[in-house]
This record gives sequence, structure tokens and C-alpha cells, in this order.
Amino acid sequence: MDILRPDSLEAARAALKNGSVALAGGTELVPLLRDRIVEADTIVEIRHAVPRGIQGTRIGAGTTLGELEVDPQIPDALREACRLAASPQLRAMGTIGGNLLQATRCWYWRLKYPCWLHGGGRCFAHEGLHREHAVFANAPCASAHPSDVAAALLALGATVRTDRRELPIAELYRLPTGDDRRMTGLEPGELILELEVPMPAASTYLKAMDRKRFAFALVGVAAARSPEGTRLALAGMAPIPWLLEDESALDEATPLPGNAYKLEIARALIRRALVAVAP
Amino acid sequence: MSTPATRRKLELGRVGESVKRVDAVPKVTGEFAYSSDLFAAGMLWGHTLRSPHAHARILSIDISEAVGLAGVHAVLTHDDVPGDKRYGLEFPDQPVLAFDRVRYFGEPVALVAAEHPEQARRAAAAIKVEYEPLELVVDPELAADQPAIHPQHWTQGHGYRDDPRPNVVRDMRIERGDPDARADVSVEGYYELGIQDQAFLGPESGLAVPDGEGGVDIYVATQWLHVDRDQVAPCLNLSREQVRIHLAGVGGAFGGREDLSMQLHAAMLALHTNRPVKMVYNREESFFGHVHRHPGRIWAEHRANRDGKLVCVRMRILLDGGAYASSSTAVTSNAASFAVGPYAIENALIESTCVYTNNPPCGAMRGFGAVQTCFAAEAQMDKLAAELGMDPVELRLRNALASGDELPTGQKITGSMPVEEVIRRAAAIPVPDPEELPRDPIRLPGGAGNTTRGDGVQRGVGFAVGFKNIGYSEGFDDYTAARVRLFADTDGDLVAEIYCAAAEVGQGVTNVILQTARTELELENVMLAPGTTGEVGSAGSASASRMTWMATGAVQAACRAVRDELDRRGGGLASGDEIDLERIYRHPRTGPLEPETGQITTERAHVSFAAAAMRVVVEVDVDLGLTRVVWIGTAQDVGTAVNPQAVYGQIEGGTAQGLGLALMEEIQTRDGLITNASFTDYLIPTALDMPPVVAELVEHPEPEAPFGVKGVGEPPTVVSTAAVMSAMRAATGRELNRVPVKPDDIVFSGS
Repeated sequence: MDILRPDSLEAARAALKNGSVALAGGTELVPLLRDRIVEADTIVEIRHAVPRGIQGTRIGAGTTLGELEVDPQIPDALREACRLAASPQLRAMGTIGGNLLQATRCWYWRLKYPCWLHGGGRCFAHEGLHREHAVFANAPCASAHPSDVAAALLALGATVRTDRRELPIAELYRLPTGDDRRMTGLEPGELILELEVPMPAASTYLKAMDRKRFAFALVGVAAARSPEGTRLALAGMAPIPWLLEDESALDEATPLPGNAYKLEIARALIRRALVAVAP
Repeated sequence: MSTPATRRKLELGRVGESVKRVDAVPKVTGEFAYSSDLFAAGMLWGHTLRSPHAHARILSIDISEAVGLAGVHAVLTHDDVPGDKRYGLEFPDQPVLAFDRVRYFGEPVALVAAEHPEQARRAAAAIKVEYEPLELVVDPELAADQPAIHPQHWTQGHGYRDDPRPNVVRDMRIERGDPDARADVSVEGYYELGIQDQAFLGPESGLAVPDGEGGVDIYVATQWLHVDRDQVAPCLNLSREQVRIHLAGVGGAFGGREDLSMQLHAAMLALHTNRPVKMVYNREESFFGHVHRHPGRIWAEHRANRDGKLVCVRMRILLDGGAYASSSTAVTSNAASFAVGPYAIENALIESTCVYTNNPPCGAMRGFGAVQTCFAAEAQMDKLAAELGMDPVELRLRNALASGDELPTGQKITGSMPVEEVIRRAAAIPVPDPEELPRDPIRLPGGAGNTTRGDGVQRGVGFAVGFKNIGYSEGFDDYTAARVRLFADTDGDLVAEIYCAAAEVGQGVTNVILQTARTELELENVMLAPGTTGEVGSAGSASASRMTWMATGAVQAACRAVRDELDRRGGGLASGDEIDLERIYRHPRTGPLEPETGQITTERAHVSFAAAAMRVVVEVDVDLGLTRVVWIGTAQDVGTAVNPQAVYGQIEGGTAQGLGLALMEEIQTRDGLITNASFTDYLIPTALDMPPVVAELVEHPEPEAPFGVKGVGEPPTVVSTAAVMSAMRAATGRELNRVPVKPDDIVFSGS
């Protein structure tokens, strides 16, 4: 395996071709490589190729979660989500761009069961253990997307700028389908460079976990109020970060026998999040 | 000629003084050498190929590709085991490397030694094993009658109750008085516990070094050096003298290092390659590398009169032992023996069964069977208090066991048993008032997740009492050897070097040994030599809360022998002279239980007992199911505290482990396959999850123990799961009959 360290975006783009993967903080990619879930013959370290830092409402994709969580200018929801995303060591390395591309959580998938997401025909979580799994859009695959940061950015209505285009963050993600089981719409080699995060009137991120910190969200709720209204988004509730029309949209969930409790938690958390961002 | 060396007066460090642990500073500064830090020039790295199936026939093993890979020095299978192909802590039912079939997910199948650990891993991946899956035995309710996992019935014919069913490890009954005795009120309950992992932070690791003469030195983190040696030697076809086990730095044990892990494997690779071989499991592999706490299903009925006096307890206990026996027979018996809790009872019927399955093997873990039944029995006592309209503490006081009482096994308690005082002292610790709002979220349920400002939060206070045996039981010949070498140093001072193979597993036995020797010899210059099978007899296991008692007894005996010899020589030693004596200490003998009735056949089946009582305050956000354990107050019967500071540490650590079982720790399996073998998915409490613990030591010296000591490691773990759950029920009003309790159990009633 080779490791390339391009010092410009152009060099990084040239290096990112078939058989290579981009590495920023490495906190997500390295475990996936170790477990051979991601295979690569070349690692392209993009730390010196993508922007890092905060300028007004623009955030470089290479900014670490640790840098964001202490920045007083960014919206509360994003700051809280960064602070809650992982342990300090991981936050010191992990970048916001990398966090958005975090792999979905499902232990069957991580243990390489021949599941639907790996190209097989069944979702083992449906008939097996699934208390941590998705309650929305969980038909072919019940994995749950863990990104606290993505939920916050969804609620905040952020825009993603890549080396090829600009798109609303909601369009970064796609539900996997039978003929394309990827969970983002990024093209091969496409790099997230920057995020544009509008400043809301008020925002918050609340996260229910199995212990008091350093755990994935059972349910994460982000809420952001702007003049156009209040937007809600969820972490840990669907295979991708989930935008929620309003509280009543919880009734459209399709929980599995062992995870309907998540809706009870979500209902209470949403109520509290709405109180927190109310004028 | 110089004057003979004499004693330098002892200033500090006697039994009963709080002494800073000798390993404290190196551990917090990162300088302590753990077994995973070992290194030898020219060493190779070993790696284990494990079964991906929970139950399968092995059709073939093809190592041809693996042996040819770069850096690979050895690829070994069961064909290469030089001696006995099976070993076991109590019954030799476990293959060194699987042959014919695999019985659990992660069972070792083949070994590789290579120059780099990654080369070893890749070579292991290149070994081709052909499996034919077999019918799974994974439901403990059905397991007993399914096709035998071990047709040899290893655990039969050892004086236990004969149970002909194919997969019964042990089936026992304790029948006392009239098991059908009626009373004014009766409460029933069903309880379940998941599989808990020891989750020690230092994974299995060690180094095997061939001695050039056919023997091997094994440096390993373990709990009992001599029992490792006695299992390793016959499988290597070596004499016991040719296998020397040396204690390397232990990063936690909690029962999980009683059984062998990499000892035999590294030794096989080292002897085969004639090179030192190091093996270090990673976290995932560690979940397959040791036995776990038995998951349990328990049905209980408690009958009592209106005055609160217990009349009869009936309990059925089903434990899943997993694929190999390990210490399951003793856990089965312990679960039954302590099922009633520390209460006097005249009538009881306790039935306890452990089955073989293709689930992860279970064995020793802190609390050893008593944790499981304490959780059930104390929930029953709370239920009974509610039924009687009686204060739960008062109900427990009315039934408190005392010295002179008889246990359900008929054993009369002859030693100290201050249950009443333990309850009163714990109950008297002032419970803090609820904190005012608003508070930092970290001081609310949900913690860092910022989930509440106080809405949904309900407070609950719970109480529980538990007890457990100290030392090995049921006729086991339990002893500890210690050797003291007294000599004169060049300054003309006497120096004592202590040899004892007691494993320092973090519990603080090193200080216990040093304090005992200093006290007995009235000497300041006392050193503890590294633990090894080469220099001293067996110390027995750092298990069953026995090591303080046993090491103290052995060191005391050896010191006294040396002191007597010194007196005979006139009180001093000339330079170059030394006294070197070894002594063996045995605790009072125990005898087996009668197989059909579980009654004692000699004066006692257990040596001694220690109790703990605990009050727990929790706050639960009942809308979200999130919990904050606010405060814990406990009183523990410790006999005599040798090193009080270390005793407090044991109480806090033991409590944290029980709290983990109550609120988050569970190995998840599907068809025998562990799905959460990582600290990402298997959660253990962090510092934020653990509240302050106010602990009181109840010191009633145990009459038959040296200095009156008892063990202290297990009682807090036995009682804390039950006490946390008592508080959880009080806060939520829910029955919560399964641990760990998760948010799902609190917010959702639909399951």
C-alpha cells in the first residue's frame, strides 16, 4: 500500500483515481481499512490539499471537530454536535468533511455478513439484533447513520462545496437502492472542500446515548430556527442523516420490533429541542 | 570481623496502615511494564487463526500457502501439539487447537509465527480451513437435551449430582427444611442477566522464550502461575520443571485470566522455531480470548410472615456455560449457595443448572455466581417489603444472617458475619439532598448529550445487601506458599526478600505481602521478588477474594519461621549468611456438598463469608430512559483492612463493575457469534458514569484468618448491580427484571 501526500488540490485530484482513497484525519478510514471493509492500494492524504479553518459562515472541510467545538462564531447546534461526536483524541484528528462521510453503523455490516449493503440479499438486522438500528427508510438496510455533525448541518441548511459543484447537504446523501448501494452522491474522487453554514436565529443539538458520553447516538436531534421556520434533523434514525418535516413525520417511521423505543425518545427530544430554540 | 547485621527499626508500612501502592506511580505515569510491553531480541510475533463458526466440523486444514509467505517461521495446527491435545482449568475438555470440530465463535484453530505481526496475520488469513456447519446449541432453555457438544461428559463422575442429559455441565439442588412451607405472603419473580465481559484494559499478551534445553519460560499476565504451568506442561509433553511461568505486568483480570489464553500457543511457537515468540491480542480478539460472566435466567419465590420473617425461598437458576466447562461447576454451586442472600432461612429449595452451549464460554468473573443470584434475591426482598408494607431496610435487618446461624447448606457460620451492622452502617450514611436546578447537563441524566434541563427526571433510592464466600470451597485443597530469604547487606542491615507467586492483578496484593512481612519481621528492608514458578510453590489463584488472606497467612508463617531461626542464631546474621525458608499456609479445610440435597458433608463447604450493603441514588429521565447514578453509600465487612486506602479502591472499582452490568455491559450474540466485540459497541462505564462512593469499612476480625483479614474484591460487585437496580425500580416504577437495563426498557412498554 502506498501513501501519497499531495500539497495542492490539483495534485490531490490527480492522485485520486481508481484504487485510492482520500484520508484526512483517518479516524474513520483507518479502522475500515484495518477491518478490510474498505480496500485500497493507495492512500491519498488530503490534509494539505483541502481548506482548513473558519471564515465567517464558511468552514474548510479539513477543519477538525476539535477546532470547531471551541469556536464561538459557529451555530450552537454544530458546535455541540462536534463536541459530542467522539472522544477528545478522535476530535483532535477527525475533520468535519470526513465526519460527513462517516460510514453507517451496523455490526452485521462491519462484521462483513453477506448483507444487502455488501451486495447480498438480506438485512441481518431485521431478523437479528437491531435496537441501535434505523426506524426510517430501513426496508432494504436498517443500518443507522451516526453523524451528529451531519444532522446539525441538515437542520442548519448547510451547503456543501466540492471540487466539482455546490449542493445542499441534503443532496449529499442518498438512500441506497438495489442497483446502487452507496449512501452519498459523490462521484469517484470527488472531494468536499468547504461548507457554507448559514447563521440561524437559534439552534441546538441533543443526543441520547447509552452512557454519559463517548457513545453513538441512539437518537440525535438537531433543531435550527431561522426566519423561514424551524428545521429538524435526526442522527441514528435512518441509514443516512434524516431531515424531518415536522414532529408528526415521526408517525411515518417503520420501526422494527426492537427499536420502536427510539421514536419515544425522539418525540421527547424533539419537544425539548423546540423549546430550546423557541424565540 | 564486623558485627552481625541487625534489624533496622520499622517506622511505617505495617498491616493496617494506608500505604501507597508500589505500582501506583508507574501506572499513572505510563512507565509500568505490562505484559504487552515485553520484548526480546530476535523475537517473532504469534497470531491465532480462530473459528468463524460457533459450531462446525473441521473437514480439512490446508497450511501450504501460509507457510510459504514472507517472514513466516511456523504454521501450527492440532497435529503439532506435542503432548495432551486438551487442557482445562478443572476438566480437560478444551482443545489446545481445535480438532474434529469447533464449538464456539473465535475458538483457536491454528497458529502462526512471523517476523512482523502483520505478516503473521496475513499468513493466518492464508490458512484454508474447510468447515461443515453443525446444528447450533444456543438456547440455554433447550440446550440440556440437544445433541451433546461434549459426548465425553467431562464433568460427570466427579461427585456431583448425576444428570444424564447430554449438555448439562452441573445440576445441583440445595434442599433445606420443608421446601413447601407456607407463609402469610408470597412474591414471585423472573430475572435475567446478559453476558458480562471482564473488559480488562490490558488484553491477553505475553512472551515465550525457549531455554535452549528443551524447556520454555513464559512471561504472561495471569492470575495463577502454577495452574498455568500444570496445564501447559502436559500439552507440551514437558515436565513441570521445564515450564516456568513468570508473572508479567497485569492490566486487570477479574477472573478472565484464570483460564489459559496465549500461554500454550506462544510456547508451542517458541519451541518450534527456537525463537522468543510474543503474542498480543487486540481488543476484538480479547473478547474471544477469555471466559465471561455467565448469563442467567432465574425464577424465584419468597414466602414470609407478616412480621417480615422469611419462611421459605425457592429458586431455579439456569446458567449458560458456553462451549467449555472452565469453572462453571463451581459457579453453578456458588450461585445456589448464595442464592438466598445473607439472610437466615429455615426452608429452601434452590435448583441450579449450568448447560453447555455454542455460546461464548463462561467461567470466573468477579462475584462468581453470587452476582447473578443477588440481583434476583434482592429484587425479591424489595418486592416482599412492598407486599408487606415494610421498610426494605427493616425487612433485611429482621432476617440478617449472623454468626451462629446456619446457611441453607446446613453450614453453621463460625466466623465473623456482621450483616446487621453492615446494613445499619450503610443505611446510616446520610443520603445527599437532590441538587437544585438548573445544573450543568453533566450532572443530569443524559450527561454530555445535553438532553434535559430537569424535565422528565425522577429520583429513586435503592438498597441492597449481598454476600459471598472467601477462598476456594467444597473440599478443594487450597493453599499458598511463601518463601523468605533473610540476609545481611553491605551496610550491616538485615534485608528480607519475599518469594510468593501471588499474582498482583491490580488488587494490591504486593503491598499486602510487604506489609505483612514488615509487621512480622519488624524490619524495614523488605523486598518482593518477581513472581515465578521457578522459585516458590503455588500461591493459588488471585480469585475468590482469597489472595489477601492466603498470602498474608503464608508470608506470616514463613516470616515467623525465619524469625525463630534468627533468634536461634542469636538475633543477627554475619555478612554472607542467610536464612531461607519456605512455608505453606492452608485455610480451614472444606468438604463437598451432598449431591442430592446440597447439604454439607463435613463441618463446612465454604471457609468464610463477607457481606456488603449499599444504598444507591439515581435520577432517571423517564421520557428518554437515560440514567444518572447520583451517589452510592456502602458499608462492607472487611475483617481487618490491611491497607485501607487500597480497600477503598477495591470497593470503588468493584462497584463500578456492578454498575456496568446494571446499566450498559452486555456481550451481544447472534447464533453464537459475538456482534459487539469492541469498546465502541460493548460499553463500559466512564468516569462520568460513576458517582462518588462513600464507603465505610466494618472491621470485625475473622477469628481464623491471619490478622483477622477477609477478602474485599468481590462483595462490592455482588451487591452493586442489585442496589443500582433497586434504585432504578424506585425511580421508574417499572419492574426492570433484566440487566443491563437500557433506555428501551424504561421508555417503551410495547416489547
